Amino acid sequence: MDTISSLAVIALAALVHASFQLSVSVLTLLSGHALGAQKARMRVWRMTTSFVIGAGVITLLLLSFIALLFNSLYGSSAPSSVWAIACGLLVGVGIAIWLFYYRHQSGTSLWIPRSMAHYLSDRTKATKDSAESFGLGLSSVFGEILFVGAPLIVSGLVLVQLSPGLQIVGLLLYTLISMLGLITVWVLVGSGHSLSTIQKWRETNKSFLQFAGGGGLIILSFFVYVSQILGGLGS
Amino acid sequence: MTELAVDIIKRGGRRPSERYSHDKLHASIVAACLSVNTPAGLAEEIADAVCESVAQWLTVRPEVTSDDLRRVAARHLTAHHPDAAYLYEQHRIII
Repeated sequence: MDTISSLAVIALAALVHASFQLSVSVLTLLSGHALGAQKARMRVWRMTTSFVIGAGVITLLLLSFIALLFNSLYGSSAPSSVWAIACGLLVGVGIAIWLFYYRHQSGTSLWIPRSMAHYLSDRTKATKDSAESFGLGLSSVFGEILFVGAPLIVSGLVLVQLSPGLQIVGLLLYTLISMLGLITVWVLVGSGHSLSTIQKWRETNKSFLQFAGGGGLIILSFFVYVSQILGGLGS
Repeated sequence: MTELAVDIIKRGGRRPSERYSHDKLHASIVAACLSVNTPAGLAEEIADAVCESVAQWLTVRPEVTSDDLRRVAARHLTAHHPDAAYLYEQHRIII
């Protein structure tokens, strides 16, 4: 896979990651609790900023860890069987997102374990300062690991094929793009937009986000399958 | 204000029921209003009005579920501040 295609795969995987909503939900809830408790605007801004940084740091660390693992196991070129498993995972998770991502009720409840949802909800309510917000940002990415795992794994496989300099570019590209949704909500909350407007938009467009997320993973799997497995057979 | 002798049956029935608390309802309505950027004074006024309406609804009921209480409070809040009512209703179904 050439450099442009590799970066394009990483960008598409990150875009799908950005369509996942758990971190955005937790950030919305965190902002609501902080504003509802009459915390100063600056304090709310610091808490939401720490949350976004926490989510970004854990995304960066997870992708680095996955890439390091693949590099240790297979060097810069993973065997076709690993690519085939990764493609299968993308299709499986893509279909699962189409079928299960949101719960069939009003609101934006996600199909994650209820114990995790309650934990995040309780922690959000108890969060009072920036350090706790940072930790909450870390937890919110872990809470959705069942869904974000697939794009992270494929991006890790693609990353190890690149030169060391481009690996860093790929890591930063993935992290930045995967946080676009979170950054958008962070900016909107920081600039004084109403949380109800943000939540209404999310609720209205949840089916589109669900379709786009699942579809994006399936398109990604086709591209990776053709370029890495079928392309590899011809060479 | 005199507390009403009404039992609130908690969601799912796993936690024990508790006595209706005017202060708790008032605080939750104020928080919902503040989270949609309503001025603090107006939020207090709205919470007073909603709590009064809810108290009237409760007077003939010895026990209600927390979901019913929330639904009725949201209905009265909608009349005063639809955005706050929307967020109040969404609170449990965001994550």
